[in-house]
Amino acid sequence: MTALLEITDLWAGYGRQQVLQGINLHVDEGEVAVILGANGAGKTTTMRAISGMIERRGSVLFQGTAIGAASPDHIVHAGIAQVPQGRGTFTDLTVEDNLRAGAFVRKNTNDSIDTDIRQWFEVFPRLAERRLQKAGSLSGGEQQMLAIARALMSKPTLLLCDEPSLGLAPIITQELFDVLGRLNAQDGLSILIVEQNANLALRIAHQVFVLETGTITASGTPSEIAQNDTVRKAYLGF
Amino acid sequence: MGDILQYFLNGLARGSIYSLVALGLVVIYQGTGHLNFAQGEMSLFATFGAWWFNDHGVPLWLSILLAASFAFVGGGAIEFGLIRPAAKKSPFAVVVVTIGLFQAFNSLSGLLFKGAATGLSFGTIFPNKPNDFFRLPGGAVWRYENIGVLVTVLIITALLFTLFRKTKVGLAMRMVANNADSAKLSGVPTNKVLMLSWGLATAIGTIGCALVAGINTNVSLGTMFGVFLLASAAAILGGLDSPLGAVVGGLSLGVIESFVTNYPKDWWASTYIGADTATAAAFVIILVVLLVRPSGLFGSARVERV
Repeated sequence: MTALLEITDLWAGYGRQQVLQGINLHVDEGEVAVILGANGAGKTTTMRAISGMIERRGSVLFQGTAIGAASPDHIVHAGIAQVPQGRGTFTDLTVEDNLRAGAFVRKNTNDSIDTDIRQWFEVFPRLAERRLQKAGSLSGGEQQMLAIARALMSKPTLLLCDEPSLGLAPIITQELFDVLGRLNAQDGLSILIVEQNANLALRIAHQVFVLETGTITASGTPSEIAQNDTVRKAYLGF
Repeated sequence: MGDILQYFLNGLARGSIYSLVALGLVVIYQGTGHLNFAQGEMSLFATFGAWWFNDHGVPLWLSILLAASFAFVGGGAIEFGLIRPAAKKSPFAVVVVTIGLFQAFNSLSGLLFKGAATGLSFGTIFPNKPNDFFRLPGGAVWRYENIGVLVTVLIITALLFTLFRKTKVGLAMRMVANNADSAKLSGVPTNKVLMLSWGLATAIGTIGCALVAGINTNVSLGTMFGVFLLASAAAILGGLDSPLGAVVGGLSLGVIESFVTNYPKDWWASTYIGADTATAAAFVIILVVLLVRPSGLFGSARVERV
C-alpha cells in the first residue's frame, strides 16, 4: 500500500497564529481517510493548507511529488480537488455553469465535459431539473451534491471534503455519505474527509485521525478508534 | 415630437460613452471589489498616446487601436505592480493607490504632451461634416457620428458579453467575481484573471475616451472629469457588479442628462432648470433608485440559502 498523500510535520496558520502544530497524516491509494476534530481543532486549516490556500511549512507529498509550496491552481492540476466548508458554490452561476467551472483545469473538448455533466445529472436528478437555475437558489443539500459533483468534474485522484455534513438534515447527510462511499467503492476514488459527525464518517473510513488543537492525538482504523475511550466519549457519544 | 426624439438621440450618443467607461469600472469591480478611481485618467493618458501616434502619421483608427493595446498591457502591469501589493495590505490601500494614480496620470499627461492643458485637436473616425446626418420624421436629425459611437459601443458590449458567456476565460472571470476562493480551488489562476480584468478595463476605457475626444474634437487634461463622474454614477445605478446594468445605467443617464439640459427651454421651468442642473438631476434620480434598490438596478443583492 503506497501513500497517495503523505503529510509530515505540517505547520500552518493565519498570520503569527499557528493553528496546525506539526501534524502527520497520510491517505492511501483507494482509501477513505477521516480527520475527526471539534470546532477550532484545525480541520479547515488542514484542508486549506493541503490545497495551498494559506501559508504553510512542512512536507506534503502527493504521488511522490512535493506540493508543499505549490499554488492552489497547480495543486488542482496535480489531481487534488476540494469541496470547501460551506460548499463554496458559485451562487450567481447556473447549476450547469458550476459544473463547467469544476472542469476548468481539463484540457478536454467540450464534448467530453458535456458527457460528464450529463452523467452527474443522472446521479443527481434534482440538479438536472435545476440546471439553468442560479446555484444560490438550491437547498443546502442540493448545493452540497452540486459542490461534490463540481469538484469531481476536475477528475481528481484525491477528493478533500471539508465538513460535508455541516448544516444538513440527518437524512441528507446519510445520502451524502452513501454517495461518497459509493464513489470510493465503485470508482476507487481516494477521499480525505474532515468531520465532527463521527458516526457516519467512521462507517466509510479506512483510516481515522483525531485532531485536537492543532496536533494529531490518535490514529488508527475505525474499529481501533471506536475502542479509544476518550474519542468515543468526545465524538461518538457513548 | 421631433424635439423629443432629438434629445433622445443626443442622449443616447453621450450615454453610450458613459456605458463604455462604466463597463470598464464593472469589469474591475466584479473581479476585485475595487473601484478604480484612476480609470478615467489612465484612459486619458492612453488617448494622448493615440493623439501622438496620429500626429506622427498613423491613421486615427489604428492609433486608437494601438493606444488601446498599450492600455491593455499597462492596465495589467499596474494591477501586478501597484494594486496587488497594496491589496495585500488592506482594501483602503487600494483606494489610496487609485487616487494617487488619478493624480499621477493627469500630471504625466500634462508633462509629456505639450498643450494638453488647453487641448490638442483630436479627429473622429466617423464622418462629421455639417450635413452628415439622417433626417428623421418630425425634423430630428441623427448624425452619422452619433450613430457610429452608439454602434461601436454596442459592438464592444456584445463582444464583452460573448467573452463572459461563451469562453473559458470569461467563465474564469465570472468564477473569480462570484467566489474567489472556490475559483482558486477549481484551479483558476486568479491573479492572472485580475491582471486580465485590469487590462481589459483600461483598454475599454481608452476607446471610450477616444470617442469623447472625437465628439469634442479635442483632448485635454479635463476631458474625462465629467465623463468619469457620470460613468461611475451609471455603474452604481446599474449595480456595480452587472455589465448589463452598466450599459443600461449609462444610456439612461445620457438620455436624462440630455432632456434636463434641453427640454425646459420651451417650458415654464426654464428659469429654474437648465444645462447646469443636468448632472444634479441625474444624481437625484440615482439617489432615489438607490433608496429603493440599494444594490442598483441589475446588481445582485447577495442572498444565499443555507
